[in-house]
Amino acid sequence: MEKRKRVLLAKPGLDAHDMGIKLIARALKDAGAEVVYGGIYVTPEEITKTAVEEDVDVLGLSFHSSTHLVEAPKIMRLLKEKGRDDLTVVVGGCIPLEDVSDLKKMGVQEVFGSGSSLDDIVDFMIKG
Amino acid sequence: MSDSVKVQKREGREIDGLMDAYFEKPNRLTTWSGFPVKDIYTPADVAGIDYEGKIANAGEYPFTRGIHSNMYRGRYWTMREAGGYARAADTNKRLRFLADEGVSGFSIFRDLPTVWGIDADHPMAEGEVGVSGVNLTSLKDMEELLDGIPLDKVSVALLCASSLAAVIFSQYITVAEKRGIDIAKLRGTIANDPLHSRYCYGKPSNPIDLSVKLAVDIIEFCTKHMPFWNTNSVNAYDMRETGINAPEEIAFGFEIAMEYIRKAIERGLDVDDFAGRISFYFSAGMDFLEEIAKLRAARRLWAKIMKERFGAKKPGSWKFRFGVHTAGSSLVPQQPLNNIIRITVEALAAVLGGVQSLHCCSYDEPIALPSEESQRIALRTQQILAYETGVANTADPLGGSYFIENLTNKLEEEAVKIIKEIDEIGGMAEAMRKEWVDQKIDQAALQLQKEIENKERVIVGVNAFTTAPEDKTPGGVHRIPPETEREQIANVKSLKDTRNRKKVKETIKRLREKAQMGEGENLIPSIIEALKAYATIGEIQGTIREAYGLSYDPFGIMKSPY
Repeated sequence: MEKRKRVLLAKPGLDAHDMGIKLIARALKDAGAEVVYGGIYVTPEEITKTAVEEDVDVLGLSFHSSTHLVEAPKIMRLLKEKGRDDLTVVVGGCIPLEDVSDLKKMGVQEVFGSGSSLDDIVDFMIKG
Repeated sequence: MSDSVKVQKREGREIDGLMDAYFEKPNRLTTWSGFPVKDIYTPADVAGIDYEGKIANAGEYPFTRGIHSNMYRGRYWTMREAGGYARAADTNKRLRFLADEGVSGFSIFRDLPTVWGIDADHPMAEGEVGVSGVNLTSLKDMEELLDGIPLDKVSVALLCASSLAAVIFSQYITVAEKRGIDIAKLRGTIANDPLHSRYCYGKPSNPIDLSVKLAVDIIEFCTKHMPFWNTNSVNAYDMRETGINAPEEIAFGFEIAMEYIRKAIERGLDVDDFAGRISFYFSAGMDFLEEIAKLRAARRLWAKIMKERFGAKKPGSWKFRFGVHTAGSSLVPQQPLNNIIRITVEALAAVLGGVQSLHCCSYDEPIALPSEESQRIALRTQQILAYETGVANTADPLGGSYFIENLTNKLEEEAVKIIKEIDEIGGMAEAMRKEWVDQKIDQAALQLQKEIENKERVIVGVNAFTTAPEDKTPGGVHRIPPETEREQIANVKSLKDTRNRKKVKETIKRLREKAQMGEGENLIPSIIEALKAYATIGEIQGTIREAYGLSYDPFGIMKSPY
């Protein structure tokens, strides 16, 4: 059997729209993944530290207050510094379509905006 | 879903697909909240309703049909569109734009650092300054924001609900005082609902007791000094947005309001002296008829609660006065222009429900901050409803509809049941402490998502009638340039270096002493003094927190300089 995927979910910044990330946490668990819930109001440093310590395979980041282009590059840089740029990084939330390519250029594998199906997100995070 | 009801992509436009479409019919024969709906409603469904006692004409207890006898024939609802982004000067510009376009009231949104009560130069504020609202670190920002706006003439809603409402409200009236305006003449609303705040902004910076204390300080201050100001806008909207249903929206909103009312009475106020200035902020979602019934049921139930439970004697205290914000959660980024139609339906429900003040969402909200163009359309939506459709010509035009009256009763009955349940827990604050509310909200969100995933609930463009994904946002994306944040941080730092430090120190010291005198001591006057010396929101909140035995900084990073 394939090793269970370990996924860290976190929401950087001051925004608290956590309904999406909580739903994804539950759906990932139901699909058999091990979920490390990093929570909200976390800094890029805290997220990277947890990702390394918990040795996760996938990192899911949620953004709803337009801070994705501020926080995501920091997290990608910190992951690189810690030698964990092999991690699959997925971004979700309120993301303008125009920003998807910028996020992908910095190493984010996939972006799921609002209205994405839970199945698609879970499939990508577990199998992708 | 039956086989004949196929809601799926129909890109091919094959004949088979067209035939399927011909036979399609509604697949969810319940209201949004799950009340079963019958084929038809008849006089039997309203039999036994006592018109005088239960419905009554508009303007008469229990106000089911509206709070004014002639409703919009006296005055349209207040047409608001919110502004709040970037620097105070940018928001000022947007407010002037909206005024030129014909809004009849302003709504001002603050950014997240302001909600949390941390200054723009706080490390946790990075990336958030001026993004989801205007940054109001000091009185200077409020002065710039209100520059040239005649505060004695306009009605302003300050959308800060967290316990920082006490500071933002004080900033506003301080600007008025400094301009020589009698604050007794000010007209407007402060959101001031820190209890709901935890379900919108998450973990609040201050504990429940301190938050409610500060909320009551505003009620007490306004009761004594500002007769036209709405002291609270109890926010059932944000809770509804999480996925709870219509009767829960009523019950949760009312239970929150009752917490403030009980505390204000404990403070020594007479219910009839302040209840008339408590207002509500409700949602209008996509179930058009249920939303109308919800607003009617809420009016009837609130009148009863105020009269019977709190013994209020003035008719003004019985009236459920409310603003509606159309449901942001109903909007989707796919085929975003469709959102204009959703917003129109919701706004019409609010008007037919007897709304006092309306804010229409902008169609681009699920994507980014509203652009000028999208806000203009949101306002035009209100204006078209008011000036072109004729729906404002008579009070409660749907009153007496067999279905609407029947559904109004059902919603009221269900809300009463939920209120009883919360009363038994010990009230809303207790239900929050026990996380009963959190569980309800989590369950509702999960259920809603499941129903969307399995297509029991159809959302056009998301799980039905989809088109190839767009790669660009129609109308473009309104962004806040990063220099905005850098500039505001520099402004705040320079303010801290140049203000009269001695004066700041003195006023902070007095605020601390007052805060140490206990819950009954109203802090608004000392907050105003500190603001006049240009103490910042972080410093004011921190000082009050320390007096209440909490860390100066809610994030535990900054230390008090005083």
